[in-house]
Amino acid sequence: MNVAEKKARVIEPDTLIGKRIPKMDAPEKASGKTRYIHDINLSGQLHGKILRSDRIHALIKSIDTSAAKALPGVHAVITAADIPDQRPIGVAKDHFPLKVGRVRSERDEIAAVAAESEEIAEAALKLIKVEYEDLPVISNPEDAIKPDAILIHPEPHGADGSHEHLKQGMSIAHKGKPDNIAMRFDYVHGDVIQGEAESDVVIEDTFKLHYVTHCCMGVSGMIAEFDSSGNLLMYSNTQVPFLHKREFAEYLNMDPARIRIIQPPIGGGFGSKLDIYPFEVICLYLARAAKRPVKMLFTREEEFLASPTRQPVLLTLRSGCKKDGTLTFRQVHTLHDNGAYTSWGATTPFVMMQTFSSLYRVPHCDYHTAAVYTNNPYAGSFRGYGNLQATFAIEQHMDMLAEKIGMDPLEFRLKNAQDAGETTGQGMSFKSCGFKDCINTAAQRSDYARKVQENVANRNAAGNIKRGVGMASMLHVGGGAKIYPSDGCGTILKMDDFANITLITGASEIGQGSETVLSQLVCEELGLPISAVTVVNNDTAITPWDVGVHASRTTFIAGNSAIGAAKKAKAKILAVAATKYECAESDLDLRGGFVIKAANGEAVVELSKLLRNLHFQDKAELVMTTFYYEPPSVHQDKGFKGDVSAAYAWGTQVVEVEVDTDTGIVKMTKVTGAHDVGRVLNRLGIEGQIEGGVIMGQGYALTEDLMIENGVMKNPNFRDYKLVTAPEIPEMDISFIESMDGEGPQGAKGVGEAPSICIAAATANAIFNATGVRIYELPFTPERVYRALRGQTPKLYWKPWKAN
Amino acid sequence: MTELKHYFAPTSLDQAVECLKDGDVTILAGGTDLTPQSQAGRLKIKQTLMNIRHIPQLSGITLEGKEIRIGALTTITEIMEHPLIRERLPVLVVACDHFASDQIRNAGTIGGNICNASPAGDMLIPLLVLDACVELASMPENKIYRHCMPLSTFFVGPGKTRKSLCELVTSVRIPLPAEGHVAHFYKHGTRPALDISTISIGVAGTFRDGTLSNVRVAFGAVAPTPVRASQTEQALEGQRLDEATIEKIAQIARDEVKPIDDVRATAWYRKEMIHNITKRILSHVAQA
Ligand SMILES: Cc1cc2nc3c(=O)[nH]c(=O)nc-3n(C[C@H](O)[C@H](O)[C@H](O)COP(=O)(O)OP(=O)(O)OC[C@H]3O[C@@H](n4cnc5c(N)ncnc54)[C@H](O)[C@@H]3O)c2cc1C
Repeated sequence: MNVAEKKARVIEPDTLIGKRIPKMDAPEKASGKTRYIHDINLSGQLHGKILRSDRIHALIKSIDTSAAKALPGVHAVITAADIPDQRPIGVAKDHFPLKVGRVRSERDEIAAVAAESEEIAEAALKLIKVEYEDLPVISNPEDAIKPDAILIHPEPHGADGSHEHLKQGMSIAHKGKPDNIAMRFDYVHGDVIQGEAESDVVIEDTFKLHYVTHCCMGVSGMIAEFDSSGNLLMYSNTQVPFLHKREFAEYLNMDPARIRIIQPPIGGGFGSKLDIYPFEVICLYLARAAKRPVKMLFTREEEFLASPTRQPVLLTLRSGCKKDGTLTFRQVHTLHDNGAYTSWGATTPFVMMQTFSSLYRVPHCDYHTAAVYTNNPYAGSFRGYGNLQATFAIEQHMDMLAEKIGMDPLEFRLKNAQDAGETTGQGMSFKSCGFKDCINTAAQRSDYARKVQENVANRNAAGNIKRGVGMASMLHVGGGAKIYPSDGCGTILKMDDFANITLITGASEIGQGSETVLSQLVCEELGLPISAVTVVNNDTAITPWDVGVHASRTTFIAGNSAIGAAKKAKAKILAVAATKYECAESDLDLRGGFVIKAANGEAVVELSKLLRNLHFQDKAELVMTTFYYEPPSVHQDKGFKGDVSAAYAWGTQVVEVEVDTDTGIVKMTKVTGAHDVGRVLNRLGIEGQIEGGVIMGQGYALTEDLMIENGVMKNPNFRDYKLVTAPEIPEMDISFIESMDGEGPQGAKGVGEAPSICIAAATANAIFNATGVRIYELPFTPERVYRALRGQTPKLYWKPWKAN
Repeated sequence: MTELKHYFAPTSLDQAVECLKDGDVTILAGGTDLTPQSQAGRLKIKQTLMNIRHIPQLSGITLEGKEIRIGALTTITEIMEHPLIRERLPVLVVACDHFASDQIRNAGTIGGNICNASPAGDMLIPLLVLDACVELASMPENKIYRHCMPLSTFFVGPGKTRKSLCELVTSVRIPLPAEGHVAHFYKHGTRPALDISTISIGVAGTFRDGTLSNVRVAFGAVAPTPVRASQTEQALEGQRLDEATIEKIAQIARDEVKPIDDVRATAWYRKEMIHNITKRILSHVAQA
């Protein structure tokens, strides 16, 4: 290339935003080369296994580990007695990793073994003898809340029967609880009594939401190793490395600075890795006791038994409206089955109350939850975080209210849907808001209005197949959620002498595609191709602070952070170029791997060459920047009010079904979705995210059901726990509403949780549209639907306790 | 844990039945039942594990006189794709099509499905209504002894059959259906693939001038074994399939079965499905 030609080179403007960019980790995963935690083995490593309770609720009378300890190949056998400094774990600090004196659920951890092979560890578990004294089992939260219910976490008594002296500040695991109420939430805005008085129509119904679980394809696991100086290295699947590092340090009574967490690629998270579970702490105890690295992997059965579930909820909703279609009030009582211990499931009211208070304009709202202890599995966080449950009730009531006042359900929704600029009773302020666009788009593309009429007309026609169409909408945080004092994320960006970027981010990749989208945002700023980026995001010794993957926050928060770092790098590069080429920085820009003239795109110098010039001089300089982004959201006040997220995401989904009235089989034929995502960054990524979420919602609505009977899980396997399989996946028509959020990275908002939220609610409405029968309990399995169609389902009613 | 000491992979039927002589042998075909059952501790592998997959006499689908012989080792996929089956026994293809998933169909064998004797085994219901016989081989002295047993008497309980420990299932034999023969199979599960039947129904017979004769009805997942429904068969025999008759027979079918409640469904729902699906199949036959 001669000099004249080079000078004349013009780089055309281009953008990566909105393009279909394959996930950076896809080739490795598709070819089976990704090294998950399951594939990592350290030399000298032992295998850890846990002995779980074979009772649901019992006192542990004795544990005999002598035979297990004597088995050749066993290096450590531990029980609570071996760990005198055990600290309680969990969101409410109400359980010990290794149970002390009492088991409260099927999954409870009694002892653990580290041995030279999994087989030896299994054999050792069989040699441990435990004596129990059974206690009555409470498996129904309605029983647990009765005044005379036996207590799941009773206060310990002294030998003479007197109350042990309880020190202030002690945790529930130590001092117990005088009742079975794990948590309470009470929220109010406006005055529901006034709201009810202003109503022309009031309805009240009870809804029942069941247990489902994440079913990550990669089972849970951990590898722990203490080095000779006592530093701890963990290979962990956590979604929250930094906060967990601190917690682990507390549980081990060690300096957090000596803990390093490496996160290998994980086979699914969906919220399940948001809390610390007993097995993780037990793995650390084993490594400490055995003085060898210990690897612990769940079996699939264990994954079912001992991973968290979605929060099961019994919910009574009372709502009203005026004849003209104006919503007047909502009053909600929920009973959350907390299970034996408290994890994030108990805190789903944070999200549920947002939906009740703010999905549509609700002038008066009252929300009450009691999360009660039972001997059931305990619930954690799960994509959607209570919003599936809340939306299930609300959106059925939207249809029912519309029917009562004889209004078209679409018109009724549009009348109550908010616009940008509104602030809700709970203080959520909608800076960008594509709600009505979502409703209209989904309705038009699915031909909703016509089909609703047609299906009703065909209900009594001959034939066993009835068609139905149903709509539901959702509101969810889309710009992080300020639940900790900070909701921020840090980035370190480094450029090398070939203009390649190393993007070091605090945000974890859990399969959601964050690596790709963050690279895209950085490359957009620096005018480089995606292939120029290497992402480092999995080592607390390297990456900057972040509060974890949750609340659909990564693209928004980590995205803004990455852009911040990229902008600083760009400023530095342009400053250097401006000096060198004697022009103003504002005359220059970066594009296609070149510094260019902003006015006409003419290439000034190849970026890699400029960087090399910068490096190879006696006053060498490096382009290396850092940025920390903290969103402008605020903490909720004591009454749960405040603008917790920097942006809010909206979505409407229309579900079409065919109900076979001979069998009760519901076939989901089509889902038409419209999502306000702010802006599409990676079209391929966001489509994948939506499709996956829809299928997760479909499983929740139709097939998935973790059956718990008297505290016993009946179907801890994929034969009887039915995930949706490929032939059942409906046709999908997905539209994106680009409301260009002012605070979002390139205008984008979070969307990770959104697509699974509406499906069950819309399906309920579709089944009603098809058959005229409303079903208040999930999942819509053939037998449940068939029973309801045959009038064999008694009306569900849970009488809420009196508020105030 | 297992007592497994020997692994044996015979290459001829003689070797296989000889090995079975002492009875302390677990037979391995496709392994799709054996593996999960032994891992879950529900089945104990005996001292000798005998892999029968290298015995040529156990495979193949052939027309032998007035019978179709399907070798015990024939996989579900092979049955589904075989021209002879597609042409003469299409009801088996329907059953194969609703069987598990491609991966399992490629490994699972018809012999394994029969010997596993699950009340929900999907091949068993169509085989029952096709009057299939099981061919068994053993070596009581020093010579192979073969005999056939009607499938309708083969099953005694979940996982239990009349086959002795020394016997190997070598094939299943199905009489060629005559002119006018119809056969239907319906599997009811919660999803189209990878599901265990909640109930299944097979109906066969000769359909002429609006009436069914030589009727065979079998139900799956409503009793400890797949069952022939004799009362329903009798009620159907020679009847004109008008609407009232169909309803009456569906009710007889519902009353004849005695299912249980389990994780898949309640007894009530199973009875309802027997009624509704029997009705659906008979209406279908009547309309054809
Ligand atoms: C995921 C999954 C899905 C499934 N879905 C279905 C389904 O939809 N429908 C259905 O019916 N089944 C289903 N099954 C069960 C199984 O696949 C079938 O029963 C299959 O036909 C078994 O054949 P196999 O060759 O794998 O048997 P194996 O597992 O090898 O053997 C099964 C039993 O039969 C014995 N045996 C096998 N062959 C002989 C022989 N020739 N002589 C004597 N004894 C013998 C074995 O000793 C063993 O006890 C499923 C299994 C799995 C794992």
